[in-house]
Amino acid sequence: MGRILIVDDTMFMRTLVKNILFSGGHDVVGEAEDGVQAVEMYQKLKPDLVTMDVVMPRMNGIEALKSIRAADPKARVIMCTAVGQEQMVKLAIKNGAKGYIVKPFQAPKVVEEVNNVLNP
Amino acid sequence: MDATPYRTLFVAESRENHENLVKNLLLLEECSDDAAIDEIFRSAHTLKGMSASMGFAEMERLCHSMEDVFQLLRTGQLAPAPRLIDVLLACTDRIEEMIDDIESGGDSSGISSVSLVRDLREVAEGEADDGDPAQESCEEYVVTVTLDPACSMQDVRAMLILQNLEELGEIRSVVPAVEAIEEGTFAGTFTVALGTDAGRDAVRSAVSHSEVVGVAFRGDGEHGPAPEAGPSSDEISPRTEKSREVKNLRVDIHRLDQMMNLVEDLVINGGRLKQVAKKYQIKEMDEALAMVSRSVSDLQNLTMHIRMIPLNQIFNRFPRVVRDVAHHDGKEVNFTMEGGETELDRSVMDGLSDPLLHLIRNAVNHGIETPDERIAAGKPAKGNVVLTAWREQGTVVIELADDGAGIDREKVLGKAIEKDLISPEYAETLKDEEIVNFLFAPGFSTAAEVTDISGRGVGLDVVKSTIESLNGSIRVETRPGDGTRFRLILPPTMAIVEVMMVRINRKRCAIPISAVVEVASADPKNVHRIGDSEAILLRDEVLQIYTLEEMFGRSDLLDIVVVVQYQGRKCCIPVDAVEGQQEVVVKPVGHVIGSCRGVGGVTIPGDGDVVPILDVNTMI
Repeated sequence: MGRILIVDDTMFMRTLVKNILFSGGHDVVGEAEDGVQAVEMYQKLKPDLVTMDVVMPRMNGIEALKSIRAADPKARVIMCTAVGQEQMVKLAIKNGAKGYIVKPFQAPKVVEEVNNVLNP
Repeated sequence: MDATPYRTLFVAESRENHENLVKNLLLLEECSDDAAIDEIFRSAHTLKGMSASMGFAEMERLCHSMEDVFQLLRTGQLAPAPRLIDVLLACTDRIEEMIDDIESGGDSSGISSVSLVRDLREVAEGEADDGDPAQESCEEYVVTVTLDPACSMQDVRAMLILQNLEELGEIRSVVPAVEAIEEGTFAGTFTVALGTDAGRDAVRSAVSHSEVVGVAFRGDGEHGPAPEAGPSSDEISPRTEKSREVKNLRVDIHRLDQMMNLVEDLVINGGRLKQVAKKYQIKEMDEALAMVSRSVSDLQNLTMHIRMIPLNQIFNRFPRVVRDVAHHDGKEVNFTMEGGETELDRSVMDGLSDPLLHLIRNAVNHGIETPDERIAAGKPAKGNVVLTAWREQGTVVIELADDGAGIDREKVLGKAIEKDLISPEYAETLKDEEIVNFLFAPGFSTAAEVTDISGRGVGLDVVKSTIESLNGSIRVETRPGDGTRFRLILPPTMAIVEVMMVRINRKRCAIPISAVVEVASADPKNVHRIGDSEAILLRDEVLQIYTLEEMFGRSDLLDIVVVVQYQGRKCCIPVDAVEGQQEVVVKPVGHVIGSCRGVGGVTIPGDGDVVPILDVNTMI
């Protein structure tokens, strides 16, 4: 069971991901609405894993990923992505993202990816 | 996915994004604006993701096509020509129709987007961005990985696998080339030559994943087809103007807290006003005040209600937990939940999840017997665990019942004697309901062995203290052979508590009524010194006296004591007078003061005085 921070600019997506993670037995310790908040909350909560949306206002997921990884090189971040965002996700992976999930989310896939990244 | 619980949220957020889209498209029409393009892209992207998640395929398709066009706009490969804006606005109209359809229970499938998608393609034609597939051969390779054709973003998965391999050693070559994989022009199979001393199994485990369908040591890579193009037509529907009610509004939680604070101030000052009015006895003023206080109380209830969220938010995860624990223990369990729509304040909800989880795990792990045991006991093989919630007289009750073996009286007693909690002679005199209370004693567990499911050193005592910290209470009933029933009674909110107002050394102080056992008159003759402290003999019970003189100064009076209790431990506080019982609004002690032992918060009654509320559990 991991402590997870969800980052997404829509409450809809956050709720969806949260319920999936709950059903997988994980704990959602926080929810951030954009990259800036994500970086702040990561420092404060020190979650085991972050699910990070890519396109967000203020600071996008890639920048947030970079900041989080700069402060904590062990940070485990999974990108939440959609078909068409391949380039962004690849950039994220090059910057240390440990996994990715593709919208529309399928609960088993999300849980599997989270478990994989938590227990490599 | 069952879309119903998300539909309202979906519609509300889709509308916001739709409006944002239209607003920025219009901006873009006036002048090319990078910020507007970014906004448009984000909205289209969000709409696509949300509709895809809900399974609204038609809407997803349209948003996807729009997103493609916006991407071209963003990279400067396409200019925002008037014709393009026309088509895009037509698309937003179609999206609005779809949202309307979804709001009224549809799934947008009746509203076709085919012609618009074609239009978009036509407008964006010539800007195709497909690179050419590249394949490089190399002289040495070790492992060939084939990804599931159903895997989304195969190239990204491939990059992650390569990254995993890189951690094992040196990648000497990759076919197709890493660049080609990064550019997305490969078809699901790649071959890697890796130099490592980690061994074959480590390599295998580094590449294995549910989306990998084949791992072959020594093999070959291959390539796939290029994407298709589409025809075009011309059709833009006329805009139909509709008026629509705004039904949902999202508000920042901090604003709600602020509002709550203001309402509380209103309640406090209302009380003050009432006291002033009492002094002057003006009939008209009293009447007007009565009207005002009614409105204020309605306002307070409404504000509280806005902060409420349904229990389903935490209930949703439980079926999976039950399934996992039952599976682990080889038990068959039928889990039902009722009343998930019952609402609780966020502050209470946050603390409730872990204790409930613990109880549910316990119910399956310790409560329900194995199918063989159940059949032997004449019960159906499949056990039942029922979680119910409802509102009852201003409280929220959550009940967890199982039809398992129940709690074994003898086992509990044995353990209690072993742990030196009671003497064997005393044990004989205990009633059943007193015995189950031992379960809540710190460090008490009847399971012979600590299992990794429910017994993790954290016992029911923690559950109990967590529930009590939420101002709630927990009770357990058990019938051997028939099962166990835990009942949690919780306040719907923590912002208001019922307190007993007392005076200590003439200063006012509030004690939460949940902690008060009784008020008794004390006889100074019965006060005895025990070491550094004093105790009083009250009906054959010795109770330690807490004078609270550090807080309030020494009072020489000792004729009334309030007996308080926490987790079965009692003590008494001498007071000058008891002023009565009332509901008060709790204000947390601010960060400026820091944590203040023994004080759970303050309240401000009608006269404007600031009164500390005792936190009995940190005192005892």
